Amino acid sequence: MKTQTDIAIIGIGVTKFGELFHQSYDDLVRDAAMQAVNDAGISLDEIGAAWLSTAFPEIGVFKGRSGMDLAEPLSLYNIPVTRVSNFCASGADAIRNAVNSLRAGECDVAMALGVEKLRDRQPQDSVVKMMVEYGHPFLQKGFTAAGTFAVYANRMMKEFGITREDISNISVKNHFHGSLNDKAFYRKSCSLEEVMLSQMVANPLTVLDCCPTTDGAACVIMVRAEDVDRKKHKPIFIKGLGLSVSTGWDLPFFDPNHDFLSFEATRTAAKIAYTQAGITKPIDEIDLIEVHDCFSIVELLTYEDLGLCKKGEAKDMIRGKETHLGGKIPVNVSGGLLSCGHPVGATGIRMAVEVSNHLRGNAGERQVQKAKRGLTHNIGGPGAIASVIILEN
Amino acid sequence: MSYINAYGIALPQFRIEDNMLHPKAKKGGMKSVCFSDEDIITLAFEAAQNCYENFQFPISKFKPEIDGIFFATSTPVFHNRYHASFLADLINLPQEILALDFTNSYRSGTDALLLANDLIGSGKYKNILVVASDVGFPDIGKELSTPFGHAACAILLNNEKGIAEITNSKSFSSSLAEEFQYKKSNIQYDPRFSRDAGFKNNITTSLNNFVSNPKSFDAVILNSLFSKMAGGIFVKAGFEENQFAKDSLISNLGNTGTVHPLLLLVNEIESGKKSILLADYANGTNFFEIKINSTSKHKSLQEQVNNYELIKCYQDYLLLHKAGNFNSIKYKTKDMFSSEMMQEREKETLLYLKGIKCEACGTIYYLKSARCKNCKCTTFSDVQLSRNGTVYSYTNEHYSPASFPPITMAVIDLEGGGRMTVQQTDTKYPENNKLEIGSKVKLVLRKMIENDAKPNYFWKAKQL
Repeated sequence: MKTQTDIAIIGIGVTKFGELFHQSYDDLVRDAAMQAVNDAGISLDEIGAAWLSTAFPEIGVFKGRSGMDLAEPLSLYNIPVTRVSNFCASGADAIRNAVNSLRAGECDVAMALGVEKLRDRQPQDSVVKMMVEYGHPFLQKGFTAAGTFAVYANRMMKEFGITREDISNISVKNHFHGSLNDKAFYRKSCSLEEVMLSQMVANPLTVLDCCPTTDGAACVIMVRAEDVDRKKHKPIFIKGLGLSVSTGWDLPFFDPNHDFLSFEATRTAAKIAYTQAGITKPIDEIDLIEVHDCFSIVELLTYEDLGLCKKGEAKDMIRGKETHLGGKIPVNVSGGLLSCGHPVGATGIRMAVEVSNHLRGNAGERQVQKAKRGLTHNIGGPGAIASVIILEN
Repeated sequence: MSYINAYGIALPQFRIEDNMLHPKAKKGGMKSVCFSDEDIITLAFEAAQNCYENFQFPISKFKPEIDGIFFATSTPVFHNRYHASFLADLINLPQEILALDFTNSYRSGTDALLLANDLIGSGKYKNILVVASDVGFPDIGKELSTPFGHAACAILLNNEKGIAEITNSKSFSSSLAEEFQYKKSNIQYDPRFSRDAGFKNNITTSLNNFVSNPKSFDAVILNSLFSKMAGGIFVKAGFEENQFAKDSLISNLGNTGTVHPLLLLVNEIESGKKSILLADYANGTNFFEIKINSTSKHKSLQEQVNNYELIKCYQDYLLLHKAGNFNSIKYKTKDMFSSEMMQEREKETLLYLKGIKCEACGTIYYLKSARCKNCKCTTFSDVQLSRNGTVYSYTNEHYSPASFPPITMAVIDLEGGGRMTVQQTDTKYPENNKLEIGSKVKLVLRKMIENDAKPNYFWKAKQL
């Protein structure tokens, strides 16, 4: 692969995540976009191309089926706007598309905006309904999203001696971090006992081991590094960016070689991103990580896939509190998906905004000290699609 | 004249005690009840499978040689689109066969047996599979006054010497129906009239006509709604009390309708009787003289009768009335889109469990692909996947809508290769569910979700 032009994030914006009954889909787009544009100190008209990430228009408010749902609320016309959909990695994929467009010289300023509006519907009318009523009428019927990851949890508990306490401690940690984040949905820390005794969803995952679906939007404005105006901008550089589709929707559950102990997609995406950024020992070279903790087991499993520890040793990281705020490598200091909630299309971009804030030194109470380099990770589908982005200041 | 060469039984996992159905019922009686995802088709399918698995017919020999399939049930054919041809397709029989339905009378089980026997005797047909299956729920509160009990039985008849030989058979007709359905509710004629003018009259005449030497039978099976009062008629015809086969099934399973006479026959075959008279009365009588050639080594009926789980309360029984899997109090789904096209198009995979095997690395896949994920080889051969397997991982889905939550999803490594992920079935009570990693399971065909035209049948795992 050729050496690539560095890309800089110059503007960031993120809405509050949660049940935003008072904000429409269009309000969320305007909120996030205007924050980012003002942060970058540019006018909307300078944007040369934009990417909109919304994963599930059909179970939301039927908005986000095309790029025009970004253009309309902003009156951002006469430029290319594309909708990106790649399950939970949609946001990260929007960033990837914007980066590639800048590198190709299609535009000089690019916007990637993720937005999802899921809470206008009743909970059982959205994600559960999608799993029950749509899709293949035979294969995987009976699974919810939680269940597809719970089968990993049960196998890992069997293979690696991980306990339910280890899994739930991820949730305890992230809920504590979330209590420090004013943009998070849940701003309350919880005890191990509360997590373990909450309503069972798909054993061993309880309701507090599962992220809530929420409304929310996040936006980043990017330019080529050479165009950064140091007087005006506090740039964050994208040093590595990997995205990989490594299995299908049904295949993981019908493939005899799949061990349910790791996500090949994460390993592949991480390898691409590490190579680009020149990282060889991630645990020593990265200062903070945002991991896709849609279910607490996924964060635990991802420690291994990102190469932070050896196979089977993830439990030691959580037991040793290495990933807590102030630990060796803080993970999900934003509170993660478990506290912020998961507006699917927005999550990847929200993570980039979070890491950027730390690298700028603007993260307030939860600031990771002397943060130089951060990583965001998303996993989509049943562990099929993963993205890894490396950011530096 | 023909021979019984194999038989198969399918009984549901669950039973309900009579005194749960009605407080005044006698203690000890039970009725067999289908789980929410079973129907006459899944039971009939299981009985047919049981038939050739028990008697170890190689499938290749068994299937092409069957030239007739008779399906007996008291559920009207067009009510639910269940029929012999559909069953034949499910068990992957060739299209050049005679597929006939026998319905509308409790006698249709033996009607099918009688016609199969005559067709084989005529020499035109060689192997006929007779399958009787009955699943009906009486009106609420009428469970004890209506014949009720769910079961299926498959019998393979042919002209090669086998377990038993049907040496003689005859049918006598009677116009008086003892019970029939009108606009979905059961109507009974004045029982005295249908009993005296129908049953007594028909049995007495036909018995004198058919039986020349009453003492030659060591088991006499009489299947009828009035069988309790038939003793006198038989004694008058020259039979003795000790010849009567005791109907031990009725207290364990209930009256299983069209299946009942066939189950009673199998019961006598398994208990080692040598010479049997089978009389089945409903709108007339079917008589059979059956000689047993060898004692059956299989006790498949006895095993299944003794292996069951009790329904714990009447409310659970009421839940079973509602067909389909994905309805619960919290969540009501609309009908699934009819996937008849998909079921037909992907029949090889969905119904017959055909997988593909990578020619290079030998990995067996259930799902089709252009290339092997493991080694990227592009050539595959077809393989038949096994119905038995071991649980690799699992989870209990508490939020997936179900009549009896949670739904357990099991990732299963199949014997001989291949992996599938399916729901576990026959788990009404989570506290009784012992499934864990390493558990042995068997795939059974069940309803996935109800739709208005046709249920979707797919595999689920049953713990062994």
